[in-house]
Amino acid sequence: MQDKEAILELRNVSKYFGGITASEDICISVPKGYIYGIIGPNGAGKTTLFNMITGVYDTTEGEIFFNGKKINGLPTAAIAKLGVARTFQNIRLFGSLSVYDNIFTACQKNITYSLLDGLFRTPKCRRQERAMSDYCEELLEAVGLIEFRDQQADNLPYGLQRRLEIARAMATSPQLILLDEPAAGMNDEESMALTAFVQSIRDEHGITIVIIDHHMDVIMALCDHITVLNFGQLLAKGSPDEIQTNPDVITAYLGVDD
Amino acid sequence: MLEYWLGVATLTGIYMIAVLGMSVLTGFTGLFSVGHAGFMAIGAYTSALLTKTYGIPNIFGVISAMAAALIVGLLIGYPTLKLKGDYFVIATLGIGQATKLIIENLPGITGGARGLTGIPPGSSFLTVLIIVVVVIWILRNFLRSKQGRNCVAVREDELAAASIGTKVASYKLLAMGISCALCGLSGALLAHFMQYLSPSMFSIVKSDELVMTVILGGTGSLTGSIVASLILIPLPEVLRFGAVQEWRMVFYGLLVVLVIIFRPSGLMGNREFSIAGLRRFFENMRLRMKHGRAK
Amino acid sequence: MFFQQVINGLSVGGIYALMAVGYSLIYSLLNFTNFAHSITVTIGAFATFYFLTELFENIYAGILFAIVVAGILAILIQILGYSVLLKKNAQRIYLLITGLGISTMCDNLVIISFTSRFRVYPVNFSTKAINVFGATFGTIDLIILAVSAVALILVQLFIKKSRAGLAIRGASFSLETASIMGINTQKLIMIVFLIAGALAGLAGALLGAKYTAYPALGTNMANKAFISSVVGGLGSITGAVIGALILGIGEVLISGYLSSAMRDIFSYTLLVIILFVKPSGLMGVDIGDRA
Repeated sequence: MQDKEAILELRNVSKYFGGITASEDICISVPKGYIYGIIGPNGAGKTTLFNMITGVYDTTEGEIFFNGKKINGLPTAAIAKLGVARTFQNIRLFGSLSVYDNIFTACQKNITYSLLDGLFRTPKCRRQERAMSDYCEELLEAVGLIEFRDQQADNLPYGLQRRLEIARAMATSPQLILLDEPAAGMNDEESMALTAFVQSIRDEHGITIVIIDHHMDVIMALCDHITVLNFGQLLAKGSPDEIQTNPDVITAYLGVDD
Repeated sequence: MLEYWLGVATLTGIYMIAVLGMSVLTGFTGLFSVGHAGFMAIGAYTSALLTKTYGIPNIFGVISAMAAALIVGLLIGYPTLKLKGDYFVIATLGIGQATKLIIENLPGITGGARGLTGIPPGSSFLTVLIIVVVVIWILRNFLRSKQGRNCVAVREDELAAASIGTKVASYKLLAMGISCALCGLSGALLAHFMQYLSPSMFSIVKSDELVMTVILGGTGSLTGSIVASLILIPLPEVLRFGAVQEWRMVFYGLLVVLVIIFRPSGLMGNREFSIAGLRRFFENMRLRMKHGRAK
Repeated sequence: MFFQQVINGLSVGGIYALMAVGYSLIYSLLNFTNFAHSITVTIGAFATFYFLTELFENIYAGILFAIVVAGILAILIQILGYSVLLKKNAQRIYLLITGLGISTMCDNLVIISFTSRFRVYPVNFSTKAINVFGATFGTIDLIILAVSAVALILVQLFIKKSRAGLAIRGASFSLETASIMGINTQKLIMIVFLIAGALAGLAGALLGAKYTAYPALGTNMANKAFISSVVGGLGSITGAVIGALILGIGEVLISGYLSSAMRDIFSYTLLVIILFVKPSGLMGVDIGDRA
């Protein structure tokens, strides 16, 4: 199974808040180019994992590697610069900015001009800004948000806010995107559209994706590989088919749905 | 009479520079300060003392003033902007009050509470006008740059900003630096305009007024800060009778609360003045009127 | 002499503590500094003054009146000013600015209504000096010390022993979680503002008795209380009291042995030092932002 090289690797990662165990001894290896699912009941420590990968929390024990480089302990911004982007369970957009400005703000990879260039708007600054602006328009077109270009992010309907947040993550030119419950609160139609969108991010942009969600149809349709967490611990790993037939998973989690 | 109003206009320009500095800090980066009059004081006294005592030209006095305010600002910003909670605000309160107290208690150097006189003149209307225009141009560029966008991202959501690679603490410090340098500049120009300084000119009330002007103008708009400055700064000169100054502050306070509760983006919201925007506005008006008539 | 100064310092510190606890209570529950706190102090002092001149010449009844008036005012400030923003889950900066707006508005209304004159209470605590072991104490300082101590102990008992106090302590870890668990957080917020206001009113009444009542009283004194709560650790009630006592004794000793001009410099220098050396204060707790 693990024939491809791992882009993200969690080695024996644990996180304790005071006396409470949020994650314990988690080992996950995400191969490059995969859509990787993490599922588990509420409180299983899924979001905590994302927060540790992105440096919002430090790990209590264990190590996290991105492209073979140890990233736990680095600040969030530094990890983002290495190429890890994410979305949030409770959407965090730049609410009072337009859709375009949300994307434009995130596009900084190829902007190299200095503060002084910016203050005096030198030709170098103008050139890079123009190039970035073109790129943002293309990205908006590609993700289907171009018609909402000038709308304020807060005023978008829920589904589009989710989409914009993913697009903002893409704008940072990442190698890996972590999606935290992107289908939460969506109806069947919306989650179908989301499934296709996420699929296209991997297929067309070659970005590896780790996704947390409760919508089993979304997870099962998308993921190449799934890890199941329960009470902060690893319960099972495998392909969607293996997970669906795993008795432990069924009793702990999937069975609840029936 | 003309000279008097020219004076009011000059003073408005000088204070506008400080308001613009606060606009970067509070309006665009979402940081709150109750002590920026202290940075005006640092600038004012630095330039006044250097030019008066050592006879160096005003221009170098003004540059040193900006540098002094910038350095002090970065010194208190660096340790406190990294922390979560209200520590930065507390630090600005401390620096604002401490500056005033130090000036009051060093009468040998600063003239103490009685004030400092005989400051070389400068800051003509034309000089101030040119400086204001340059400051506005630079800030406009700043806000359209990557660095400016990062500051706004920090205001909108710190965690989301960090997740796209923005170094939150660094951009807060940048905004702090810009605001302090501009307050220092404003203070220095004030010193050479008034030719007299006293610590009471830089009280906590002055700091509060700076913040409130920014809020009333709109937290995401340079145009808003400019318009609010043009209206609110000359107001005390126009209203000069009875308890009207106190009523003015009552009105400011009330207005600030109402704006925050009902229209947090302020007078101008996030919009900026532009020729294209103006054309769009009139086009909309025309369409609406045509539409109205058709009905 | 020294002993006498310490008692005097404890009485000043006691009043600071009454106000500092208000800052800490609100900060611990809602995570923001209530910049409108100072006005409840000023109103406390003026309420006592007008009660004594217009209604009834009894200082204890006057103090009680101040506590009630300031408590009601604090609740009004929370309902009219903060509640909308808290319900919207607005950013902290908006709460700070609202507080600033309210205090600017109210401070100036006080100047307009009562003028900037200094008002001396027509009746006061006995000004007699008491001799103990050769040292003389003003009765007023001893009474202030006793009253503050009783009030602070009552608040501490309320927070530690009562059901509402338990809920407040629980909710200060996470207001959101408390509300999910079915705790009426609106009620808790009201209680916290009521306590903060009542203590501030008491502080105002005592300050009026010790000094005089004047419009800038609240701002001047509340700034010191604010420093106390930072020195003790934002959000910690015990810390606020300790910080207030350190500040009170320090200020009195410095104005006694050095000069009164150095007193304020001491306070603000202490603030700056604490921010550099240990920003979380002596007993501070740091609450992180959750994703």
